Amino acid sequence: MITQTLFNGLVTGAIISLPALAITLLFGVLKFPNFAVGSIVTVAAYAVFALNVQLGWPLLVAAVVAAALCGAFLILVDSVIFRPMRDSGSITLMVASLGLGLILENLARFFYGNAARSFDLELSMPFRVGALRMNSEQLVAIGMSALLMLAMYLLLMRMPMGRKMRAIADNPSLALVRGIDRAQVIRWTWMINGTLLAGAGVLIGMDRALEPLMGTNYLIAIFAAAILGGLGSPLGAFVGALIVGTSSELSTLVLPPGYRTGVPLCFIAAILIWRPQGLFGRPLIRR
Amino acid sequence: MNPVLELSELRAGYGTGDILKGVSLYVERGKIVTIIGPNGSGKSTLLKTLIGLVPVREGDILLNGQSIRAFGATRRVRAGLAYVPQEYNVFANMTVLENLQISHEFAARKGHRPAGNVLSDELRELFPELAGKLATRAGNLSGGQRQMLAFACALSVRPDLLILDEPSAGLSPKYMADIFKSVERVNKTGVSVLMVEQNAVEALAISDQCIVMANGRVRLDATARQVEQMDLHELYLGPLAEQAA
Repeated sequence: MITQTLFNGLVTGAIISLPALAITLLFGVLKFPNFAVGSIVTVAAYAVFALNVQLGWPLLVAAVVAAALCGAFLILVDSVIFRPMRDSGSITLMVASLGLGLILENLARFFYGNAARSFDLELSMPFRVGALRMNSEQLVAIGMSALLMLAMYLLLMRMPMGRKMRAIADNPSLALVRGIDRAQVIRWTWMINGTLLAGAGVLIGMDRALEPLMGTNYLIAIFAAAILGGLGSPLGAFVGALIVGTSSELSTLVLPPGYRTGVPLCFIAAILIWRPQGLFGRPLIRR
Repeated sequence: MNPVLELSELRAGYGTGDILKGVSLYVERGKIVTIIGPNGSGKSTLLKTLIGLVPVREGDILLNGQSIRAFGATRRVRAGLAYVPQEYNVFANMTVLENLQISHEFAARKGHRPAGNVLSDELRELFPELAGKLATRAGNLSGGQRQMLAFACALSVRPDLLILDEPSAGLSPKYMADIFKSVERVNKTGVSVLMVEQNAVEALAISDQCIVMANGRVRLDATARQVEQMDLHELYLGPLAEQAA
């Protein structure tokens, strides 16, 4: 029973690790918490649905195209909504992201209604590995998030664009006078956000169903994972997501399932009190 | 006269008031020019305006004879300026190597340097201390080492003019002497230097030209040797300063 719950928690953790990393990256570069992240996941999932179910494309192709479209859409959203407010401070941008989230969620509701939908996938039968009962969608979720995490780690630590993102996160005005093109880095950050959030949309859609609140339902867990791991740390986002996912599921063994959402909130409170930089974050040096 | 930088009647500031109230000066190619003056005279604002962090309201900035007034900070770096701020002048949460890589990659895009040569022989010779610290987080370096790293990053882009904002601020006397020696060595490689300094005596000793600022204007533009003979107290606070206001 515990092993099965732990495995289910790992799957949940793998799914929320992608938007948790998206938040971490964006917070580093643009210095605001993007509360539209849940709704973007939803919209991306519906984009995949449109290509996969309505146009009949294979799910993988639909997911890749939707990821690119989602990134391009976010660049457009940035230029229309966030860029004009860039100098107005984090709170203004955060409120704007809340508004954007509401708009996107209701657009999804307007076009697709409240009814639950699903991707065009062959039904896979659950199978057993020892005492564990699992299905192929769950393994895809773990594999895909691990792969994307590795790609993000390599990008941030080994590639010039990743270094530029970290430089802007560290010291934006110095980055400017060191010749870093901030606009280009911002575009890349949104594009990567689009990929991660579309990935999360596909995984949630495969694990559960598509409905207008499918992304927003994960919002607290996503933020808890990013903060627990340490904003700015991709490894932290991954580990934070796994801890939040597994502990939320494990809590159902001793608490009514309705209290599951309370677990990430407890993590946020605890980490802010005892280790504000998160598990993998380093105390910021400003000198 | 072969100026690398020329400013004419430059006005700039924050909010509604002007901090720079019509600054005109030039920096001759290959020379070290030091700007001194009392606190609040607009020295640091002038440097920030030059690099594009404070917008120009009136006047012009010519770099190698070309107006860069309309350029943003990144384009000014591409045009040949390099700026080392007084504080927060390295990416503190990144390693020394990563700091150098960022500037090196920019230089490579500018076409100045082949890829794969992050700490060039020239930089290694100028700042030997950095070679053994490549894996150290820049924020964990001492004040002097951090300043050296900031110089090395700025020089990686092969600037025509290196702009330094109080390079010796907060350093021990030993490191202060090292920093001024580094400025001299950098200048000998052919890079012109414009620096703001509070340690006027040490800075003037290595400078060719000196500009004294007061109340957002140039109060005196003379050779460093001439200024060395003057009374700094009189220069900063004397009757001429009041006239400049």
